[in-house]
Amino acid sequence: MAAYTRETLSINGIETVVQIAGEGEPLVYLHGAGTVTGFDALLALAERFRLVVPFHPGFGASADDPSIDDVHDYRRHYLDLFDALELGQISLIGHSLGGWIGANFAADHPERVRRLVLVAPVGLKVDEHPTADIFTIPGPEIGAYLANDLSVFEGHVPVPPTPEFLADSYRELTSAARVLWARPYDLKLSRWLHRLTMPTLLLWGELDRVVPAGQAPVWAQHIPGAEVRTLPGAGHLVFDETPEACEAVAGFVGEELTV
Amino acid sequence: MNVFDDIQFYLFNHHHYIDEPADSDKYESTWVTYPNANFRPDVAYELYQRWTREMLLAEQLGFDAIAVNEHHQTVYSLQPATTVRAGYLAALTKRVKILVAGIPINLSWPSRVAEEYAMLDVMSGGRMEFGFPLGTGMEYWSNAGQINPTTARDRFRESLGIILKTWTEDGPVRHDGQFYNYRYLNVWPRPMQKPYPKIYIVGSGSKATVDLAADFRAGYSIVFTPIEQQLKAMANFREIAAERGWTVQPDDTIFTVICYVADSDEEAVREARPHIEKFFSWMHRVPNQLLSPPGYVSRDEFLRRAQSAALSEGTKATWDDMVSIGRIICGSPDTVADTLSHWAQEAQCSRMLMVLQHGDMPEWKAVKNMHMFAKEVIPRVRARATGAVAPEPVFAGVK
Repeated sequence: MAAYTRETLSINGIETVVQIAGEGEPLVYLHGAGTVTGFDALLALAERFRLVVPFHPGFGASADDPSIDDVHDYRRHYLDLFDALELGQISLIGHSLGGWIGANFAADHPERVRRLVLVAPVGLKVDEHPTADIFTIPGPEIGAYLANDLSVFEGHVPVPPTPEFLADSYRELTSAARVLWARPYDLKLSRWLHRLTMPTLLLWGELDRVVPAGQAPVWAQHIPGAEVRTLPGAGHLVFDETPEACEAVAGFVGEELTV
Repeated sequence: MNVFDDIQFYLFNHHHYIDEPADSDKYESTWVTYPNANFRPDVAYELYQRWTREMLLAEQLGFDAIAVNEHHQTVYSLQPATTVRAGYLAALTKRVKILVAGIPINLSWPSRVAEEYAMLDVMSGGRMEFGFPLGTGMEYWSNAGQINPTTARDRFRESLGIILKTWTEDGPVRHDGQFYNYRYLNVWPRPMQKPYPKIYIVGSGSKATVDLAADFRAGYSIVFTPIEQQLKAMANFREIAAERGWTVQPDDTIFTVICYVADSDEEAVREARPHIEKFFSWMHRVPNQLLSPPGYVSRDEFLRRAQSAALSEGTKATWDDMVSIGRIICGSPDTVADTLSHWAQEAQCSRMLMVLQHGDMPEWKAVKNMHMFAKEVIPRVRARATGAVAPEPVFAGVK
């Protein structure tokens, strides 16, 4: 299987780390509000695509940027980052918080996005199936919210958690709070989702306890022609939990590509 | 001039809500999420009466000041609106200073805080002092969506600047900031004391709050922190202030001391210990998650706290731990006076904020403690002033 190489770029003075693997059409993955399980589960996609996985500022290996306090700050950060990487048109996967960023990116810059995959995205307010308030979930319970299969944390989460691990998690939670503390949604997002005119896949773990799969039809209702795919048995961390997630993405993004 | 020449004693009372239910073990927290169905106004009414009696007794006993503060959604405190309480006490007192320490200004508007505090200063005839706390992490959960803890410190700094600006500059003035904008900042009334009442930044000794106090040339008041950390923070404060070109005076810092005085060391511990333990195990029962909402502290400060959990988590520390780190001083008048004097000398601090009512302590003990402190300890400490004469015991029967 392919392995990542790392590139470090300075984007508006913020050291930004990007992991890249494979060859082919660029496929960018925007991660969610935590990076604890890493991104090795995505490497199956590098068999077919040039997989590009940046760390958001404030997460993982990238430096902090406290001035990023809005989803649109991230969207513009990615305009700059993609330019710096000389990525023209891309296919884009956005997971969770990354899904919110990705939906905004694609709505505002549709010419840059060939195909879009939103995986359990946050960003909509769905009263019947509300997004969990990650800030109020007690630390010891958070794993069971994120994944149906807790074995995905093995090798990633020390037992018991070390002070350093807790401090790293706290740092990512702080970065998430800069954009999510008030609310994990934008009341005006739904009125702009019609701008997602590129082929769009909504991918969900059936047992997601953070962003319930019940939100999928609401997204689909606002996005013209969006396809919905639900993965049985999986929770919020679908890529860690089942290889079907990468297969679904590869199938959808690669549909029109000649190999 | 030595540090004892103008030493002053503040009586602070937490205003606890004392009514622990029989099934109290089942509650993980007595802050933020503790069910307010358990609140009984009749119990609170009696407690407000009692706390008023104790605060007024402080004036009669010769304390220099009384101090109130503010917390939200907790049995820890019946003072979610500290200026309401201060106004009530100002009307019932004549001599003592009143330290309001204070509204976490992020939970209000700077102009409104400036107005309320100025009102108090004028109404009390210029007896006010003000402490400015960031607010515990817990307060930020009580105001979940409105104030982001990740920007709390920047917001606090701007807000404090606005308050001092409107107290010192003739208005109307304009303010265009990151968090607040005022077209016409022109508060009315303005404080009686000029340029403004004595102010203290309230902190637990972190570098961030010490820097803030040094920048604003404010005093620094440390709460609820082991004495060693208080001493270290005060030394740090003096150093940083010196770098900024000013000298910290003895009245620029306030110590907070959990204290109980009785005829002997043994009696003091016997009488106080169960109530102080109740304070830590019930009134201050707070899960870590509520203590540190995201961004309330930096990653490094979070790590420092996670690594020294024995010090930061009162609920888990043993009595011996707490005594050995100097969190508590219980003893005879000599023991207490000697210890306080040592700390005052070492920290060059002339302001002692005394916590003399603890947890579920009954009124008679709290009142006895106040009498013992005022009549037996204060004179012993004051005897260290330049040219002072050693005091005679005030109560012939006590010794």
